[in-house]
Amino acid sequence: MKEEWRYIESNANTAAKNMAIDRAILVENSKGNSPVTLRFYEWAPPAISIGYFQGLLEEIDIDMCKKYGVEYVRRITGGGAVFHENELTYSIVIPESHKDISKNIMESYGKICGALIKGLRYIGINSEYKPINDIVVGNKKISGNAQTRKHSTVLQHGTILIDVDVDKMFSVLKVPNEKIKDKLISNTKERVSSIRKILGKYISFNDLCSPLKKGFEEEFDIKLIKGELTSREKNLADRFEKECFANKLWNHKR
Amino acid sequence: MNYKSIYKIPNGKLLKINLNLNDTNEKIDDIKITGDFFAYPEESIELIENKLKNCRIEKNLLMEKIIQTIKKNNIEFIGLDAEGLVDGIMMCLK
Repeated sequence: MKEEWRYIESNANTAAKNMAIDRAILVENSKGNSPVTLRFYEWAPPAISIGYFQGLLEEIDIDMCKKYGVEYVRRITGGGAVFHENELTYSIVIPESHKDISKNIMESYGKICGALIKGLRYIGINSEYKPINDIVVGNKKISGNAQTRKHSTVLQHGTILIDVDVDKMFSVLKVPNEKIKDKLISNTKERVSSIRKILGKYISFNDLCSPLKKGFEEEFDIKLIKGELTSREKNLADRFEKECFANKLWNHKR
Repeated sequence: MNYKSIYKIPNGKLLKINLNLNDTNEKIDDIKITGDFFAYPEESIELIENKLKNCRIEKNLLMEKIIQTIKKNNIEFIGLDAEGLVDGIMMCLK
């Protein structure tokens, strides 16, 4: 009998709500109240999430965000700023003690990214894990990932680009040229790809869920059972949203 | 005076340092370490920032304080290391 994990397909949420839900699942899983969970979600309105250690004003052009109606939020995970529009975001919450989760953080990135890579293969995309936390096709990034470990529990979330408006992306994000100094590409914009660019056609969020789901089931040899957030998780998410992710003190803390 | 640096850690992430330096005694009044690296536990960076306050800006001294803090708190970095941190800080003065 295969191990069963909960699978949640969320509607699109605000930036603060999305980050609050991921944190709520992390806390409830760490207390033993919630199962291992894989969630797929979107962002509405479009939003930027920045890494926990990033400076908000260093990464984001607030005026451009206002112009385009783009929200922003600080994550509890490290890593870089991500523009969330026309993409699928996943989050996985799993105990650190799980047999398939290495104590070595880099190895666990590789394992979870392996599930995404298997999933992408189902839609005809050959991708590979590129340490530290990217998935690339050729030398172009199609997925960014970020992991934290708290209360002996792993939260990894990340994004798969379905379609990308690079000009809009790089007008709301501030990306210095130092970022790509050691990469043989002159322009940061050229580093980004998307499913649409690779396949030449648009694949919707809904059409992407099922192949990615299969990727996780195969990589971890598990069965995903569709479920919902528990009422504890919902209440906790409401609290985290108000106290933390929708709060200026949190988002502007660095 | 205020100094800034942006430093791409070799094989790592992008480190940004924002430094307030007392120019008479060359001690750090305030330092903000930001970037797209990973650090565990999450308070690691604040611990290091606090430890570096009032430290004279001198390579070996900075390295010693940072390594001490890493050891004491079991800090784990990904995309960042003590040497990179020191290089990023020293780069502010260039």
